[in-house]
Amino acid sequence: MEQIIANGLYLGAQYALIALGLTLIFSLMNVLNFAHGQMYVFGGFVTYTVVVQLGLPFIVGLLASAVILAIMGAVIEKFLFAPVVRRSKRDESTMLLAAGIAFFLDAVILLLFGEKQRGVPKIVNGVFNWDMRIIMPYDRILIGVLAILLIVVFIAFMNYSRAGRAMRALAQDRMAAQLMGVDVARYSMLGLALGAMLAGLVGGLLVTITGVNLGMGGPTSIKAFLMIMIGGAGVISGAIAGGFILGMMESVGLTVLSAYGDITYLVIFATLMVFLAVRPQGLMGKPWG
Amino acid sequence: MHKRTFLKLSALAAATVLSLPLMAYAENATLKIGFVGVTSGPAAAWGISNQRSMEARAAWLNELGGVKIGDKTYNIEIVAFDDQKDPKRAIAGMEKMAQDGIHYVVGPNVDDGAAAVRPAAEQNGIMYFPYSFPKALFSPPASNAILGMVANYQSGPAIYKYLMENKGVKKVAFVAANESDPLSQRESGIAAAQALGLDVVSGNVTYQVDTTDFTPVLLPVIQAAPDLLVLSGVSPANAPQLIRSARELGYEGLISTETAQDAAVLQEGAGDLAEGFISVGGASTPELASDTMKEFVERYTKMFGEYNDESNTKVYALEYIIETLKANPAAIDNVEEYKKTIDTFEAPNPFMKGDAKLKYVGMTSFGQKRQVSVPLVVNEYKGGKFETLFVGQVD
Amino acid sequence: MKASRLLGFSAFLLAVFVLVPLFIGATGRWDFFYTLTSVALLSVGAAGVWLTFYIGRINIGQGAYALVGGYVSAILVTQGGVSFWLTLPVAGLFCAVISILIGLPILRLRGVYFAMVTLVLTEVARLSALALPITNGAKGITSIPLPGELSVFGLTIIPAFGSLSNPRIGFYMMAVVLMIVTYLVLWRIVNSRLGHLCRSLQQNEELSASIGVNTAYLRVLAYAISSFFGGIAGAMFASIAQSIYPSSFVVADSVNFMLYCFLGGLGYVFGPMLGTFLLYFGWDLLSIAREYQLLIYSGVMILLMLVLPNGVLSLLDKKEGGK
Repeated sequence: MEQIIANGLYLGAQYALIALGLTLIFSLMNVLNFAHGQMYVFGGFVTYTVVVQLGLPFIVGLLASAVILAIMGAVIEKFLFAPVVRRSKRDESTMLLAAGIAFFLDAVILLLFGEKQRGVPKIVNGVFNWDMRIIMPYDRILIGVLAILLIVVFIAFMNYSRAGRAMRALAQDRMAAQLMGVDVARYSMLGLALGAMLAGLVGGLLVTITGVNLGMGGPTSIKAFLMIMIGGAGVISGAIAGGFILGMMESVGLTVLSAYGDITYLVIFATLMVFLAVRPQGLMGKPWG
Repeated sequence: MHKRTFLKLSALAAATVLSLPLMAYAENATLKIGFVGVTSGPAAAWGISNQRSMEARAAWLNELGGVKIGDKTYNIEIVAFDDQKDPKRAIAGMEKMAQDGIHYVVGPNVDDGAAAVRPAAEQNGIMYFPYSFPKALFSPPASNAILGMVANYQSGPAIYKYLMENKGVKKVAFVAANESDPLSQRESGIAAAQALGLDVVSGNVTYQVDTTDFTPVLLPVIQAAPDLLVLSGVSPANAPQLIRSARELGYEGLISTETAQDAAVLQEGAGDLAEGFISVGGASTPELASDTMKEFVERYTKMFGEYNDESNTKVYALEYIIETLKANPAAIDNVEEYKKTIDTFEAPNPFMKGDAKLKYVGMTSFGQKRQVSVPLVVNEYKGGKFETLFVGQVD
Repeated sequence: MKASRLLGFSAFLLAVFVLVPLFIGATGRWDFFYTLTSVALLSVGAAGVWLTFYIGRINIGQGAYALVGGYVSAILVTQGGVSFWLTLPVAGLFCAVISILIGLPILRLRGVYFAMVTLVLTEVARLSALALPITNGAKGITSIPLPGELSVFGLTIIPAFGSLSNPRIGFYMMAVVLMIVTYLVLWRIVNSRLGHLCRSLQQNEELSASIGVNTAYLRVLAYAISSFFGGIAGAMFASIAQSIYPSSFVVADSVNFMLYCFLGGLGYVFGPMLGTFLLYFGWDLLSIAREYQLLIYSGVMILLMLVLPNGVLSLLDKKEGGK
């Protein structure tokens, strides 16, 4: 029982961090960032390259992932999303663009980093074993704690910094924020940069545990979509809740349903559909996103 | 941009692209061999190691002055098609191969693709070498597919038997991704284990291929306390994580799989925890590799920057095609001739030390010779490399 | 206006039924038959997705219905011995019925929420196909016989595909006929009272409900028609591949169906057809670029979106003028 909760918490922390970036981008620009998973993968590969190929410390790799992804996010917003959002008749048109970017990043990742599974060797050795009731390797604990720390920093930033407040205003009511003198273009760009940076950071963190390969992008995006749907799209607390709920569901589901074998994920997904049908705006979302 | 200019440009671009494939190669002594498989997306590693081993071997043969088939000398050209692991695309790939006048195609890499291309291959007179195991593809009335490696229902029993006799394995557990290929392999694995009298303590735990944390997946499996954990049809991306999670959960038994793995990937992903991991490989372990194999690895590494151990088995299909064509030059554009040669064909195996032979097998499994004879080399991962555990044969 | 439309339609018929086969015969590019068959069938599925866009819903679940349709047809043909031609409409109807059951609760969702649920639906369909006994699970259904003869009162309308010297042409003709019928139906819907009502849903659902439009009924109807198209497209594919696996239609297919609609243009009935043609055919042609195939493909996709954010067919919009 304790083990299931510990697994769920660890999964939840990493999921929540992925979902945060996605929900931030969604709330600011109403763009469902199909390329989010690819950004995560890219971040993982950057950390891998810095740590394993160049032999630099892990923290440098993590910083490199954050910086490179932030720049990538800013560039994508300025030169791709902004012009298309301005000129398209329907909001959804950005979906094609986002999917195009996802494919493009997939191609770039394949050409730059190759097709093989990559991983950074464990940064901490050893396994925490509490009387066989909770077994958790130390590196997992470390990454889990780091992820929660990052979530806290992010929330503090959004609540107390000027930029964070401006972005929240933007998310609430774009028009009103603009009238109040918020520089929409600038903060949209900052928002996407921040969202992409978060994706890159998670990638960098997880490359030490799960490794990274070019195929992880798409499925990661979809999982992140699920989380923000559970919590409510565009709501930061919702993304965190969604991440932890999905993490718990997987952990509990896999244990409870393992006897029935192949249907575990079928049950998880079907439950989600029923949940969303009953509560269309997720746990904390505004109706109709 | 003016719309008219844009239109013109696009028309021009379209026309150029359309006409490119129409331009025929002037050289007439080119033998095209096709590859239809997955070289992008999550399973890219399978197809890429395939395609690259073919390209590396072809470049090498061409450098040596080409291949003499009958009284003509050919340069080998590899025509590759990325099916994105989509069976619908794979059909398009097969049609494209037919269009290019190709009669011998390596791939596809997965079950659904291999089944989907069958009509196209049979209608167009193409022999294809899939890396997928369903018996219906290779048993009569099907006759155009040749299994390009050792199937898990052949290697599995050999591995389990060896481990039973030498390591005292009694209880075995299976985990598989919830996809067609791994699930089918798990089913035949369980059947094989039961036939040997092993106790299958866990056989229905599955995982999504995109799982990032395997601890919850493996928890119930480990609690069943097996002596041997079989990772059915595991992809090279998932293998290190599964091994790591199992070991971190305190599992101390053996772990094995029937698919080919890459030592570097295991080293990075699981480090010391992968010690003793058993997988099926080709013939590049030092004990077995001939000088040709060693040079192949060198050339591959030079061409693409990094070797992939999965290529050890994947290098064979092309060799079989070329050698069989040499044995019967009439088969070069006639697969019926090829099929006639299959039954009697035999040639020395250049990749293995000793007097190993290239020949077609599969009578026991398929009732006809529709499988390349690749040495069944079972490897053990030790200190960053594979070591040969034992070598078996498929009949 | 009417005459020019008729002329355009006849020109299109001439092109697909006469010119394309002639062109292929002349150039010897026999592989185009399969490529164009795929384009035609995928555009049938995309037409359904487009219709859900038309009522203001982003549908990323068409792959699920294509998979279900494929399985229905495959199971009926292999286990029931039913003629393929009968299973084709049955597969469509089966999907329509399922989509009504699923659509009733989920069509209340909007925007990205609906999009996400449909995306999950594709995965649910794949996992169900793996788990259900009737689908033969992971092993799929293989060796499905080719479509047999279709005859009415002893008169052969469609010969047995097995007897054709080149079944590819048969499949091509069949797929194109399906495509034309689908788009005629779509065009008819859009230009009818139903179409006007759908447009009102797309613009403002509350408003249209307040003036007495039965929005719930309309949504389910549109979604059922959409799924019908998905089902028959899937059934045809299963018949061409003579096999179907749980992974025959996956999330990537669902996403692609949606992209076809975007690329062609959401405001144009024939948008999905053009979008399918450009994206699918484009990928095939780009296979000469080898390892740069995906890079060029996605690069062009991004560029197209930058230049024509409202779809390729927005080139035809005269009102906006050339910018």
